[in-house]
Amino acid sequence: MAESRTFELAMSPHVEGPKTTRKVMTDVVIALLPAAAAAVYFFGLRALLLVVLSVAAAMAAEYLCLKFMKRPVSFALDGSAAVTGILLAFNVPSSVPWWIPILGSAFAIVVGKQAFGGIGHNIVNPALLGRAFLVASFPVLMTAGWPAPSGYSGGTWPTSGISQERLAEIPGADAISGATPLNVMKQTFDEEGMETRMGEGAPERVREELSSPSTYWNLLVGKIGGCLGETSGILLILGAAYLVARGVLEIRLPLSYLGTIALLGWVWGGAGWFDGDPLFHILAGGVLLGGFYMISDMVTTPVTKKGRIIFGIGAGVITMVIRRWGGYPEGCSYSILLMNLVTPLIDRYTKPRALGEVRQDG
Amino acid sequence: MSARRHMGKVKTFSGGTHPPGSKDLSSSRAIERLPAPELVRVPLCQHLGAPSKPLVKKGDSVTRGQEVGEQNGFISLPTHSPVSGTVVKVEDAPMPHRRSGPSVLIRTESEEGGRVFEPWDEFRAHSPEEIIERIKNAGVCGMGGASFPTYVKLSPPPGKEIDTLILNGVECEPYLTADHRLMLEQGEDVILGMEMLAYALGVENPVIGIEVNKPDAIEHMESLGATVVPLKVKYPQGAEKQLIDAHTGREVPAGGLPLDVGVVVQNVGTAKAVVQAVRDGMPTMERVVTVTGRGINNPSNFLVQVGTPFSDLVEAAGGYADDVVRLINGGPMMGIAQYTDDVPVIKGTSGVLALSSAEARESAETPCIRCGKCVDACPMRLAPSLIARSAEYEQWEQAEKQGALNCMACGTCSYICPSGRYLVHYIKRAQEMIRALKKKEA
Repeated sequence: MAESRTFELAMSPHVEGPKTTRKVMTDVVIALLPAAAAAVYFFGLRALLLVVLSVAAAMAAEYLCLKFMKRPVSFALDGSAAVTGILLAFNVPSSVPWWIPILGSAFAIVVGKQAFGGIGHNIVNPALLGRAFLVASFPVLMTAGWPAPSGYSGGTWPTSGISQERLAEIPGADAISGATPLNVMKQTFDEEGMETRMGEGAPERVREELSSPSTYWNLLVGKIGGCLGETSGILLILGAAYLVARGVLEIRLPLSYLGTIALLGWVWGGAGWFDGDPLFHILAGGVLLGGFYMISDMVTTPVTKKGRIIFGIGAGVITMVIRRWGGYPEGCSYSILLMNLVTPLIDRYTKPRALGEVRQDG
Repeated sequence: MSARRHMGKVKTFSGGTHPPGSKDLSSSRAIERLPAPELVRVPLCQHLGAPSKPLVKKGDSVTRGQEVGEQNGFISLPTHSPVSGTVVKVEDAPMPHRRSGPSVLIRTESEEGGRVFEPWDEFRAHSPEEIIERIKNAGVCGMGGASFPTYVKLSPPPGKEIDTLILNGVECEPYLTADHRLMLEQGEDVILGMEMLAYALGVENPVIGIEVNKPDAIEHMESLGATVVPLKVKYPQGAEKQLIDAHTGREVPAGGLPLDVGVVVQNVGTAKAVVQAVRDGMPTMERVVTVTGRGINNPSNFLVQVGTPFSDLVEAAGGYADDVVRLINGGPMMGIAQYTDDVPVIKGTSGVLALSSAEARESAETPCIRCGKCVDACPMRLAPSLIARSAEYEQWEQAEKQGALNCMACGTCSYICPSGRYLVHYIKRAQEMIRALKKKEA
């Protein structure tokens, strides 16, 4: 008989899959790099400085909180704080003072995440909460000045996305040259006001310009004003494709969100009913950033497939209500924050039908 | 007849995951018969249900095939001695599937014989009831791992019509190759066993389900005339309810049994045991065991007598590699970690798996990041992370509402969890608490 020996005890399963939290977060960081590079290209090294400060502040805040609460500080290195830092920086204009991303990131981590128990326990997206805090506290710094992307010599780059030559054709267009595309769109909803400032027929002409191929192109490559991360649509889509391919972003979330934006953009995003421009509503503003990278925050979105679709539709409706009738030109971040709050409820009522289970409610 | 030919029509279930198969460690190793050890420890609790009542005492001499423990209730089976020899002791001892259990320790004198029933060359000359009675008396239980008494599965309560028999040759647990080798080397017996089971159930056209990662087995079984259902390689394809769903599209009701949807599933190893019982007149005393893992020097497939200690199997397989850390009864997904290798092979031991430190899962657990991977992958379509959270907060009622009792502990969720959470553990705890609370209420 062979001599016996002893072994470690453990619960099944005894093997583990390839994914770890850190790998998931690393994938998100990788997916955000192209858009970060675009931010540096369009807004200069200042953009890089803001991103670095934001990430450093987020990780430092995470470390200090963990230390203070006597929890393993290794969590500060799992990548989730870095993701929050990048996303927060992506949500500020390049003109903000250097301390803005630091303050925002620290708030995001301390109040938005660690106060609720750290990774996995936060109710709302920390980066969006940090942004909401900054917008509420420093509205002028956060929204008043939209610096134009650099690289254009000969005056102000049209941050509206409408090309310079076209702008020249619209009388009184100076009023919109420094605004983001959504600002301009918002102005067109006040037809009388716009006509007073820019002459008769201005709203139609501006709308036409917003829906022109050259505007689409500027929106896609990022030749527009806006927050650091929401400039280049094409690079945001590229990063999102990577996340989907890596199984980090579940396609139902962005599809239902952007699909709802497109549909409602057509329904009430234009001058009258059913004549809006769906493509413009998807490319403009922060919905690509939000729809791919804020919605992909797993902690604060539903775990069920049906729940993810409901979340996306709900956020899409709120975004479009704010865009059309709200006080802000863009409603993306608030829509996701609001839907974050009902995520536990969505999970609860979208419990999948188990194999062999008969629905009680018929 | 290659697997490619089947690609267009391979069946499967929804959910699941793809752990590395690691079957090539042992899949080419032919079954080798190991001699019985000097001391055989025959557990009286190998089957699911009540342990058999010991019929022998210290000093008794027994012959191979002799009943040493008698059936003790409906869900129970008799136990037979795999060797001729002398009873050393009847005692409780560590078991591979539970902390400890009653066993009969026998000093081996011979491993000849074992034919204790009349061999039936033509099984159709006997009634289905006689066949089922024989299967019961021979102590046949499910050889796939759960060890449910086979005769119970063959005796549906009145009113339950069985129309489908699926022989389970899926072997979806990584590493294990015992069923694969059995189909390749003893395909005729496997098919004969399937016919006996079909006859006992009154079912026409039984089928055998095999994953397409075993093209040689599919080809071989088809060449012998069996109807093979090729199945997609996905864990847990061989779980009973998932196999039934894949083949018939029928969902076994929650809390119900396969016979509620007219189906019986039997493992290929069980079919072999049925042949031994019916044709050869021999009780279930031996089985094929895969001894494998990177913690083993020379992975092998052995035919061993029940009651042989794991340590003997490992020694026959070249011993442990230096970096072995974990020893498992069964496969890596649902198998049970062993504290010692001084535990006996039981009828349900499909594998003895020794994992190296590089293979074995680490125990570090971080908080759930709600990625929902477990929800997408759960083959029972539960939300494991939510049930686990309820269990952590000891909200047992909530856990039950979330379907905790439907979990079969297949381990898919824990396997894919990026936070390395022991979801199965939390859910099993919830199951225990829910059942305990129900008992209290009743």
